[in-house]
Order: sequence, then structure tokens, then C-alpha cells
Amino acid sequence: MAVRLQFENNCEVGVFSKLTNKYCLVAIGGSENFYSTFESELADVIPVVKTSIGGTRIIGRLCAGNKNGLLVPHTTTDQELQHLRNSIPDEVVVQRIDERLSALGNCIACNDHVALTHTDLDRDTEEIIADVLGVEVFRQTIAGNILVGSYCTFSNKGGLVHPHTSVEDLDELSTLLQVPLVAGTVNRGSEVIGAGMIVNDWAAFCGSDTTATELSVIESVFKLREAQPSSIHDEMRKSLIDSFV
Amino acid sequence: MVQYNFKKITVVPTGKDFVDIILSRTQRQTPTVVHKGYAINRLRQFYMRKVKYTQTNFHDKLSTIVDEFPRLDDIHPFYGDLLHVLYNKDHYKLALGQINTARNLISKISKDYVKLLKYGDSLYRCKSLKVAALGRMCTVIKRIGPSLAYLEQIRQHMARLPSIDPNTRTILICGYPNVGKSSFINKITRADVDVQPYAFTTKSLFVGHTDYKYLRYQVIDTPGILDRPFEDRNIIEMCSITALAHLRAAVLFFLDISGSCGYSIAQQAALFHSIKSLFMNKPLIIVCNKTDLQPLDGLSEEDMNLVKEMKAEAIKTVIGAGGEPNDDENVLLTMSTLTEEGVISVKNAACERLLNQRVELKMKSKKINDCLNRFHVAVPKPRDQKERPPCIPQQVLEAKAKAAAEKEQKKLERDLEEENGGAGVYSASLKKHYILAHDEWKEDNMPEILDGHNVYDFVDPDILERLEELEREEGLRLEQEGNEEDVEMDDKELTQEEKETLATIRKKKSLLIQRHRIKKSTAESRPTVPRKHDKDKKFTTQRMGRQLSALGIDPSKAINRARSKSIERGRKRERSRGDSDADAMEMDDDRANKKLRLRSQSRPRSRSSSRPRGEIVPGEGFKDALQKSKALKLAYGASKKRNKDAKRGEADRTIPTLRPKHLFSGKRGVGKTDRR
Repeated sequence: MAVRLQFENNCEVGVFSKLTNKYCLVAIGGSENFYSTFESELADVIPVVKTSIGGTRIIGRLCAGNKNGLLVPHTTTDQELQHLRNSIPDEVVVQRIDERLSALGNCIACNDHVALTHTDLDRDTEEIIADVLGVEVFRQTIAGNILVGSYCTFSNKGGLVHPHTSVEDLDELSTLLQVPLVAGTVNRGSEVIGAGMIVNDWAAFCGSDTTATELSVIESVFKLREAQPSSIHDEMRKSLIDSFV
Repeated sequence: MVQYNFKKITVVPTGKDFVDIILSRTQRQTPTVVHKGYAINRLRQFYMRKVKYTQTNFHDKLSTIVDEFPRLDDIHPFYGDLLHVLYNKDHYKLALGQINTARNLISKISKDYVKLLKYGDSLYRCKSLKVAALGRMCTVIKRIGPSLAYLEQIRQHMARLPSIDPNTRTILICGYPNVGKSSFINKITRADVDVQPYAFTTKSLFVGHTDYKYLRYQVIDTPGILDRPFEDRNIIEMCSITALAHLRAAVLFFLDISGSCGYSIAQQAALFHSIKSLFMNKPLIIVCNKTDLQPLDGLSEEDMNLVKEMKAEAIKTVIGAGGEPNDDENVLLTMSTLTEEGVISVKNAACERLLNQRVELKMKSKKINDCLNRFHVAVPKPRDQKERPPCIPQQVLEAKAKAAAEKEQKKLERDLEEENGGAGVYSASLKKHYILAHDEWKEDNMPEILDGHNVYDFVDPDILERLEELEREEGLRLEQEGNEEDVEMDDKELTQEEKETLATIRKKKSLLIQRHRIKKSTAESRPTVPRKHDKDKKFTTQRMGRQLSALGIDPSKAINRARSKSIERGRKRERSRGDSDADAMEMDDDRANKKLRLRSQSRPRSRSSSRPRGEIVPGEGFKDALQKSKALKLAYGASKKRNKDAKRGEADRTIPTLRPKHLFSGKRGVGKTDRR
């Protein structure tokens, strides 16, 4: 189920929210519209938590997490950390880490089993990622971009990466992550996939600029609503060719 | 991609308005006050400026008109031809040409009159020249009045043209008048075209949009076409012909098989054959409409033959596009817009065939190579035996199953916000959804700072365990201490004999320590004579005393001095050290070892020696002391005068008394006012 939404007239919803299989973090906005969109989709199942990180609203870019844990940057205040620990289920470990690259969301992309990280991340941080999130960690780039968190997003079922990723890179990444991958865009051609959408194993949220074609690619590659990734090169192929070329 | 939007052309004023606008602007935006007494140069300048300003304004205005109206040769041929059909290319070009000529004429007039103004010798002459120049410019504009009016009309009409993108996916509907073209577009899009039971209800092109397979298709409804020679066709029909000729679209040729439109099948077939050259290389579908009145099977033999003939022609277009000759199911379709039977299948067939054609074309282009990766789904190769299952809570699966049955309305935060005063007024509690052991803990206030400590530094999820651990440790330690006390208790129960032994042991131990300390102290005291010269330790004060007294000199002073110079152990007293500095010269002879001497003389690093006055140290951007001293000298020279004038600095420009009394009072002589 992919939903289109906006945060205060901004389509980069991945910047203002973080979605995992166990919890969802949402930035505190001027009105409750953004929050309630998540609330109506998710609140029965997982906690939807309004929070700031380091006093900012760009929480999606600052933190990284999955069902096992949540990593927040050193800019997080004690009160925010307390709030997060109170709001998130106890089995999820919330950990504040001292990493020079404090936009963890941009530097780390992960699902529940594998994580891709920025190549310049500390060795200590790498160990913490592996420990807290319970994942295998790979230092990777996506189509030559070191900010892996910004240029790709993946769940346990599939993934979407930067549109300029070559076929060989796609195959390699897919083997690393063990999920099917597709190169694509969100928000009417935006390359920053991680900023334009958030996804977990059963729900996806994209910016409201996302076109029908992009949405259908997203639904099929993340296997939402019984769609299968194979449909991208079967029935959707013609539409895709006509819209891209 | 070029966007065709004729809605943004600026309004073209009529000739009279044009003149008013420009002249009033000249009046408002150039100086208006002039006097006879002004220098002639100034007068000329004044009027030249007016003429030039008027000319630039005319030029700008006319240029915007010439630039903003599309050039028929430069835009897409579809729009070029459509504009030609609607407004007549020659007329249009002529009008724009006239505007351009007027622009040049005005420039020339202005040039001439500015030249003449250079020779104007009085205010009156200059003014007359200006009036003449502006008058001639206005006459030029008045003369192009009709062209301006024509262009304004065209502008208004163009602004109402449908925005058709000639390059996108397009479905074109054509056929005789009154065969159901507009009803069809109303069914598949939301265009809302007027439908009436008479011919030529649709007088121009209409555009609607429809979706098929995630893509948007532009559907164009054209006015009906009659079967007559090309030259005889009116403007309305020519719109359709233009669209057919220039748009790369899927063409739906509508056929009224019931004949209720007033034209027989034979007539419609004739039209089809006369315009079939326009269908070349386009996916063509023949749509038999109004099957509710007359099913296709019920047609008479000869009509059926006509239809089959058309179908054969249409199949040729399929073959032309590289399709299979026996692929004929999507060429002749039947539908009824009244009962909506077959409408969707017609739309789907048209879209599908158009899409196929476009994809085939695009597959051949070079650009496809750039986005091949986007059609590729990378499927993972297994790299280990590990299972990586998705994590979907059971609730989600249950909810999915339930969703179909019923969808209960939950009260969302948004609803609460609405109830409590809307955005900006309502402030949601962040603590509402805390997951804690007891619900009443949620709203508890946590102190942030307590007794000057940041509480969170001491918060630990397993603080209770830690506490237990600490207590356990404490207990252990206490127990141990208790044991030690027992040992000390034993001490008191010693016998007298044992006590004495212990005392002797302790005494001996302290003696040993004392001796060791003494030894260590002598070892560290620096000898006055280097070891290498004093291997046998012969150079002692006693020896010096002996030798000096042998020479008949009282050695006591020398001995005292040598002693006082020996290095003290432990912390030194700085003050007394300073004294020793005073007679450093004498000391040189006393200490043979240079290293030792230097060390004894060196000061601690607590304070650096202060720089003598007047010494120039490089720095502050200067290369060396020389450069700096030069700069300082220059600065001094520069400020000398200023200082003499009692100014505060460079910025001090005050004049203490602007009008000194003695200069402005009393009778003045001749030429004495500018004494200051």
C-alpha cells in the first residue's frame, strides 16, 4: 500500500519521517495532517512517534534504524533520547553514537538484515551498527554517490536505488542485500530516493509529486498489494519506456 | 521540449491607447521643468532626452509584440498550419511586418530629430523640434492601428485555443459530422464537449485527457469533415485536416452504420478513401458507432462490402507499421456511446496500438541505452544460507483481511486537532503514547537538572541491576574489612617479647630508609667539579681550605661562598636566585661544567622575558622588522597633519563651526566671502 503525502507543502517526506517494521518516527509539524496520515495507516500496529532530533525536524536524515534498534546522532538531546526510549518498544535499542558524520540517515541505509554505509564512517560506528541493528554492514556507494542513505531505500522485500545505477551495480547490490532491486525515481523524477519516500515491509509513503508510473514501480518492487517485481519488465515495460525515453 | 502556451502574450493596445500610454509615460518619467534662462546645452539635453525616451518606449513595446507572437515557421507545423487556417498566414505576417517597420521608422525619426536638436538655438526651437518628433512617431503608430487591432483579436483567440502538446501520446477522433465523436470523448474523458443532434456542433478542436496503463493520453475531438474537394473545405473542417496531417496520433475513424447522421455508409466510405493519405503511418481504427440502432451483422450486402474495403485499407496501415497482416481484431471495432457498449474496448485498443507504435520507435532510438537499467529488475543471487525473512506483524495481515469487510473509522490526531481549535491552537501531547510499565507514569515530570547534575547522565535502563551489583560489592568489601580488623585486633594481643622485636624491626627499617634517603640526596647533589676531573673525589672544600691556608690566605670566605653556590635540593626560592643572577659574571669562573651552569641559571617557563621598549617585532602581516618600521614611519607621517588639526582620526570630518560669525556678519567688501 503506497500512500502519497506532503510535509508542509514539501514532497521530501523521507526527510521528515523514519519508518521501520517496529516503529515510525514523524517530525513535529505545524499541523497534525502529516502525522495523522501515518497514524491512520500504522497506529494500530506500531507506535507512531512525534519527535525532533537535535531540535531539528529533519529526523529522517539524522537517524537510522530497523526493527532491532535505532541510532541517533550525538546532537540528540537527553530529553529527546528519553522521549524516544519511552515511546519505542523496549526490545528496540535506542543508541546515541558519537560519529563525526552526524546525518546518519544519509550515511546508512538498512533493512532488518543488511546495512549499506558511507565509506568514511568510523570503524567504531560500523561495529555499533552491526551490534545495535543486528545487520551485516557493507561500505558501498550507489551510482558513485557516497551518501547511500539518500540515494536508495530498501525493505526486506525489495529496494529502489538511484536511477543512474548501472545494471552490473544493480546485480551486485542486489546480491549484497538479498532483495530484488530496481533503479528508479520518486517525486516526478527526483533522484534522492531516500529523501522522497519511506518504506517498510507492508507500507510505503512517497511525496505527493510521485507519478502513477513511479508509484506502480514502487508498489511492484516492494511487493505491496500483491504486486511482484517481475511486472516491471512484463506488463509495465511499455509504459515505462514511453515515459522515460 | 517546447511548451505551446499562447495564453501569456501581453495585451496589444489599440493605436490610440498605445500613443496615450507612451506619451503619458514620457511626461511622467522625464523632467518637466525648464527655463528660458538655462544654458542652451542644457535645453537641448532636456528635449533630446524626451525624444529619446519616447523612442525607447515605443521600441520596447513594439519589440515585445514582435517577439511574443509566435513565428509560424518556427513553431510545430501543427500549430503553424492551425494558425494559418484560423488567421491566414499572409495577413498575420503582414501585420507583424508592419509592426516591425513602424519600430524601425520610429528609431529613424528619433535619430533625425536628435540630430536636429543639436542645432536648436533657443528654448522655443528645441521645443518645436520635440513636438514635431513626438508627433511624427504618433502618426506612425496611428497608421499601424488596424494591424494592432487585428493582432489583439488574434491574441484573444489564441489564448482560447486548447493546449495541445503535439509530441505526447494523442488519440484523434475524426469522421463525418454527427456520428458521435463528441459523445465518445465525453465518455472517456472529462472534457465535457457540447453534444447536439445537428451537424457541426463542434466547431473547433477540443482536448480531453484519459489514462491507460499509468500513462496519460490526450484525446482530441475534431469537427466533422465533409467529403468534398480540399479547396472547398471551410475553416472548421480544415482544423480537423490540420490535426490529422500533423499529429502523430492514433486515429479513430468514426462510422455511423445506422445512417442516422444523415449520411449513408457509402458517403462515409468515400470520405475515408479521400482522406486516407492522412492516415499513413498512424495506428488507424475504424469504429462503427451507434450499434444500438443498427448492429454490424444486420448491414446490407453492399454496405458490408464497403466496410470490409475500409477494413482492408486500415489493415494496410498495420502492415505499414510492421505489424502482422492477420492481426486484424483491433482494426474494426463496434460500439454504442448510448449504451456505453464497447466504448472502453475502443479506447483500450487505440491506446494499446499507439503505445506499441511509440515503444517500437523508441526502442530504435539511441536514448533507450541510457535508461536500459531502469527496466532491469536485479534479482539477488543467494550468497549464504541465511534466511532473511520480512517482518510483518500479524496484525497487519489480519487488518488486511478485515479491511475488505469493514473499515472502522479511528479517531485520528487530525480530528482531535480540528475539535480543539485547529492547527496552531491545538498542541498534541508527546507523552500520550509512551510505552511504560504503568500508564500513570506517562505524565510524570522528570527533572532535567538535579543538585547541579544532569539527571540523564545517571539514567541507565538497568540501573536496578547495577545497584544490586554495587551493593553486593559493598557487602563483600565490608566483610573483608571486618577480617582485616580481626588481624589488627591480633596485634594487641602480642606478648611483651614480640612487641620488642617488632619495635626493633621497625626501628631498623626506618634507619634503613633514612640511610637510603641520605645516600640518594648526596647522589643527586651536583658536584662542583665534573666527575671526569674528580674521579677520586679529591676536590673537596676541605682540600681547598688546606691549599688556600698553605698559601697563607684565609679560606673561610671562599669555602662559604662555594657552599652557598652549591645547588640546593628541593624547591628553590626564586627571589634569592634572582640575586645570584646579579653576579653571574663572577660565577662563570666558579662552575666549570657549562651544562650544569646553564641549567642552574635557567628560569622556569612561567614567564617569558619582556621585550625592551622601542624594539620592533615583525608580525601583523609584515615580512620583517624593517618593513614594519617603514610602515610605522609612514603611518606616523600620515597622521601628523591630522593630529595638528586636532582630528580624532580619518573619519573625523567635522567642521566645528559651519558659519563662523566673523565671516558672515557686517558689511562685506568685494570678493571677501570665500576666505575660508
